[in-house]
Amino acid sequence: MPSKANGQAVLAYLGERWAAFFLLLLLVVFSLVGRNFFSIKNFSNILYFATTYALLSAGETFVIVTGGIDLSVGFVMGFVGVSSAIVMRDMFAAHYSQAVCMVVGTLVGLAVGILPGLVNGFLVARLRVPPFIATLGMYGVANGVALALSQGFPIYFLPPRVQQIGNSFIAYAVPGRPLTFFQRPPDLKPDEIRALVGIVPGTVLVAAVILLISWFVLKRTRFGQHTYAIGGSKDAALRSGINVPRHLTWIYVLSSVFASLAGIIYVFRIGLGNFTTFNSSYELFAIAGVVIGGASLMGGKGSIGGALIGTLILMTLENGLNIVGIQAFFRYIATGLILIAAVMIDQFALERRSSFV
Amino acid sequence: MSETVLAARRAGGATRWMGRNWALLFLLIELAAFILLGRNFQSLENIQNIFVACLPVLLLGMGETFVIITGGIDLSVGFVMGFGAVICAKFMVLLQAAGLPPSASIPLAALICLVVGLVPGFVNGVLVARLKVPAFLATFGMYGIAYGVSEIVSSNTPISGLPAEAGFIGNEYFLYIIPRKLVTFIKPDHLGPEDLKVMLSIFPIIVIIAAVFVAIFAFILRRTRFGQHNYAIGGSQDAAVRAGINVPRHLTWVYVISAFFASLSGVMYALKYVTGRADAGSARMLDSVVAVVIGGASLYGGTGTVKGTIIGALIIATLETGMVNLGVPYHFRYIAIGLILVLAVLIDQFFPELVGRGE
Repeated sequence: MPSKANGQAVLAYLGERWAAFFLLLLLVVFSLVGRNFFSIKNFSNILYFATTYALLSAGETFVIVTGGIDLSVGFVMGFVGVSSAIVMRDMFAAHYSQAVCMVVGTLVGLAVGILPGLVNGFLVARLRVPPFIATLGMYGVANGVALALSQGFPIYFLPPRVQQIGNSFIAYAVPGRPLTFFQRPPDLKPDEIRALVGIVPGTVLVAAVILLISWFVLKRTRFGQHTYAIGGSKDAALRSGINVPRHLTWIYVLSSVFASLAGIIYVFRIGLGNFTTFNSSYELFAIAGVVIGGASLMGGKGSIGGALIGTLILMTLENGLNIVGIQAFFRYIATGLILIAAVMIDQFALERRSSFV
Repeated sequence: MSETVLAARRAGGATRWMGRNWALLFLLIELAAFILLGRNFQSLENIQNIFVACLPVLLLGMGETFVIITGGIDLSVGFVMGFGAVICAKFMVLLQAAGLPPSASIPLAALICLVVGLVPGFVNGVLVARLKVPAFLATFGMYGIAYGVSEIVSSNTPISGLPAEAGFIGNEYFLYIIPRKLVTFIKPDHLGPEDLKVMLSIFPIIVIIAAVFVAIFAFILRRTRFGQHNYAIGGSQDAAVRAGINVPRHLTWVYVISAFFASLSGVMYALKYVTGRADAGSARMLDSVVAVVIGGASLYGGTGTVKGTIIGALIIATLETGMVNLGVPYHFRYIAIGLILVLAVLIDQFFPELVGRGE
């Protein structure tokens, strides 16, 4: 019966692509219901807040594809943010130029951000500690170090250019003037300032480039292939000559580096270094993004594009709920519900597919 | 020759005992170190403080023990505890406003909280047991949901205006002794400064309440059919199904038990701090898993004991109290606990025969 088989195939297809449709649905619904939801400014805003989460999800994608999990990303992000902010603050206080402070601060942040990943990778790959436990340990350690470094207070007094850069746009449009790039048009009149529209925040461009690179690495390189191979079957990967422990170590370092990038972008965005609090639950949003995007925690399945769609669903939902006037904390509930729904849809699709085959 | 063999066997027995009880030894060494280094660490008051400090970890850990033995995990316990604290505090305020005296409003609110607190556990259980959602993800979803709900119920501010009597239960002791003068269950009024100085307060009330529940569930795990089934499911789910155990129903109960202990811990929080906050237990999820793992449970299921969890919780609480005593900044506890977790798993992994799992 071809029609029935077709129906099954359609269901399976929907089961795999539901996230993209769901994102579209959310966009349509909020555009209809929410005032000013459908505007360049607001879409810019969604992307602006999505950058940190998208980066965390991208790193988490690599880990989840290998069949692991990284619970430490949120606190690694805080640890790196605090470290690089301290460097920037102290150098600025010692009268270095702002550019030098920012470059050195960023580099130091990236350098210390490798450490948690190395430790996680060593524990998981060489000592065979379950990823869940190794990274839960790091969750505690990174949080403690961040709190100890910052003494439990945000790091203030960064160079003022930090926040300016973090909040600049790629292009600025003012009616009746040509587009300007990276800088506001000079000598604006007050009514022109009001009409000024920033197009795509700079941090979004940075994140987009990073995501594009990571998409390329995961989809098109041998490294990416090996990542899927390990997730599919560790034994088979070993037998086909992949150096699994080394590869896994790299994966956890990668996840840490993405968390560091998120932490540094966060510093640039808010202009201060802040440790991560327990209830900010970054790891929840990162893992939820990846799973909603179609990854399986069993490994071997998942993509950067999927993780991006998952993150955008969560961020659109947050933004939309806000605009409609629903309390901010519903986002935690919504995220939890969608996460569970995603897993159930995945399982349902899997059953369909296997019964279909 | 036979003597050397015997000696070797005896020595081997000693190492094996040490391997099996490394957590207990660690606790004793920890206590000894803090007694030597700290000030008045061994005082009766401080030792009781350790017991009070270990309550949230112990209670969350109790539920987590049941879950981990079945081979699952419950990541939602911390925020379910916050949910419990918020619900309990909210109902105390509401019932008081409805004109109930504290003697009725406090137990009633606690009861309501314990009942409402079963809901997240039931949902977790249905997801894991019936719908086959991996435990990690189901409870991770609940982690977000429970937090969101409790922030909304508490309007993002700690709940205040609880009856003051709640604080008495949370902070008073079961027994007061003034040597050679008085033994009483109620804190005596109008004491002179001399009497106050020598008065011994023993058995914090919330520790007693918690101990009762811990004892009941320790009995259930160790001596009843339910406990046996728990281990059987953790050992091999297939075998348990084939042996005729109703695995889905059992697993649902296990997650309900976990949520029950989390809400109980929330009630304790509300009683002790006379408030309810959504983030009351947010830092405790890590601790509870650590306590269970230190106590010798394997995350693959099938092993774990209440005794081990108690020792694990005491290790964490002693560390916490000792650090305060020595004036070490509080943040270092997270580092220490993270390290202990990894250490415990490494010992478990590399010396299975030491821990007695290889036999």
